[in-house]
Amino acid sequence: MSVNAASVAPPAATARGRRQTLWSKAAWKFRRDRAGMIGFGIVLVYLVAALGVWFGWWATGWAEVHGGKWSPVSGEYWFGTNLIGQDIYQRSIYSIATAFEVGLVVAVLSTLLGAALGSLAGFFSGRFTDEVVLWLMGVLDSIPFYLLVAAIAFALEGNAYAMHIAMISTFWITTSRLVRGEVIKLKNLEFVEAAHAIGVPEYTIIFRHIVPNTLHILLVQATITFVAAIKSEVILSFLGLGVKDGMSWGLMISESTLEVLAGFFNNFLAASVLMFGLVMAFNMFSDALQDALDPRKVS
Amino acid sequence: MELLQYTIRKLLAGIPLILGVTFVSFLLMVYFGPDQTYQLIGKNPTPEQIAEVRAQLGYDKPFVVRYADYLRELGTLDFGFSDSTGEKVSVLLGRTIPVSLALITPGFILGNLVALMLALIAAHHRSGWVDKMIMGLSVVGMSISFLIVVIAFQIVFSSSYGLGLFPVRGWNVHSPGDYFAYVAVPTMATVFVALGYNTRFYRSVIVEELTRDHVRTARAFGVPPARLLYRNVLKNCMIPIITRIVFSIPLIVISGALIIETYFGIPGVGKVTFEAITSGDQPVLKAVVGLTALLFVLAQLVTDILYRAVDPRVSLK
Repeated sequence: MSVNAASVAPPAATARGRRQTLWSKAAWKFRRDRAGMIGFGIVLVYLVAALGVWFGWWATGWAEVHGGKWSPVSGEYWFGTNLIGQDIYQRSIYSIATAFEVGLVVAVLSTLLGAALGSLAGFFSGRFTDEVVLWLMGVLDSIPFYLLVAAIAFALEGNAYAMHIAMISTFWITTSRLVRGEVIKLKNLEFVEAAHAIGVPEYTIIFRHIVPNTLHILLVQATITFVAAIKSEVILSFLGLGVKDGMSWGLMISESTLEVLAGFFNNFLAASVLMFGLVMAFNMFSDALQDALDPRKVS
Repeated sequence: MELLQYTIRKLLAGIPLILGVTFVSFLLMVYFGPDQTYQLIGKNPTPEQIAEVRAQLGYDKPFVVRYADYLRELGTLDFGFSDSTGEKVSVLLGRTIPVSLALITPGFILGNLVALMLALIAAHHRSGWVDKMIMGLSVVGMSISFLIVVIAFQIVFSSSYGLGLFPVRGWNVHSPGDYFAYVAVPTMATVFVALGYNTRFYRSVIVEELTRDHVRTARAFGVPPARLLYRNVLKNCMIPIITRIVFSIPLIVISGALIIETYFGIPGVGKVTFEAITSGDQPVLKAVVGLTALLFVLAQLVTDILYRAVDPRVSLK
């Protein structure tokens, strides 16, 4: 991102004289990006918080009702309590784990789906497979996102993963478009021709030789999807289409809409600030990753 | 003549898309969608009564017939009557779409214009502190959820805990003054959120154009920066910009205002759609989804024709 990082060439070889790879160059470039490293550090802190919740080290009492209605900030209730007396601090920390769960599931699965369909469409570009994938992308793109989520939620009859499925079924499209474009370029290169010549089966060529070369796109897209999933969760939970059991920032904010007009802001602030921190850090991380991995990007 | 042929060809090419969208949405929303039989029926119904209501709702017909009915409705734009209010769907949409348009248009235009200006400024001062500040702010804007912005703006500008300048919620418009009062806070929220994404996108488009040879040549010939940006850069960037703007219109008309309308209690099409989702009002849902798909096909057509208008090299063949 910054001019200094771009103008200083990476060291020709590392101290131990190992060969330089594209990945080691990218890692070197990433480490020099201050904003990216800060973002990465913050994401790690959040990850530790989420792990703690999963292992049951903290935020175990998020559903318990003790403290009175709307207790102020105190040593016992760090962020006060909500309308029915639940500890806002524990609820907001517990929600970090929910955010990571939603983000990871959606990012990983939609990236895999996008990579698979995008590479198939790209490799067979102009042929029937490609037409079908392009048509599917156009169709899913034309259905309003919230309508699609609601429809999937109803079709699955309140399944807890309806939200994840709906997000995956829309978020793979962008990844798929980018992968398709890259694969169309890659499939005309010599290494693919060579693989054809020695009789490597088509699907082995696609998934063993071409897809690994789109890994830089996939990594960046996965981080972008992660952020999009967390942000969508908040809105879907507010609309009553999101997280079904458990706690999330979206549910906290939707709870807080009853409170803010009465002048109680703790719930709203706790969820918003924690969510903003994670999303902001992830955006900074994602930007740095993009700068490090994409040699053609002009910044 | 060439344009007319092109338009017809494009509209025909849009048919598979419309069929796809209507089919997927029909499958999800109507076929697997909520069943309204027991909401319309009294207590302890006999099997005959159940069958009668199901026939009335059209549930007993085979899938293909129901889908064909839907396509016919879409073709004639006659979607029948809303299940929950009994109002004619076309009347309902005719009443609510103008409200949504009035609500969203100012924010949509401002959000794009201001973002374009900021992007030009940032690109002009590329890598300088102005650029870094604008881009930093746009990442901040991208990181705040729209819902949080809406709630926070309502607290700050409308509620008695903040400035209390505007009405808290509702839509009671009788004069231009009313309109301004009700539209101000939603517009500010829309613009705030749009700025983050739009500025970033426009800047990257403009910066890419700035690195081209013809820009360097123009600079060398001493073209002043403002004219350079307007004539040599902005015009060449129009294709991605137009694509982004036109393609965001269909979603904005139908579902873009959903959050604002539900939160501020504004009777626009977004709110109607949301209520139709939660109550399983299929005639309304079918109308909304079908119209969105039609708008998308139109948007594709409009962008292709606009490409031609801004760039004579694009051919309509």
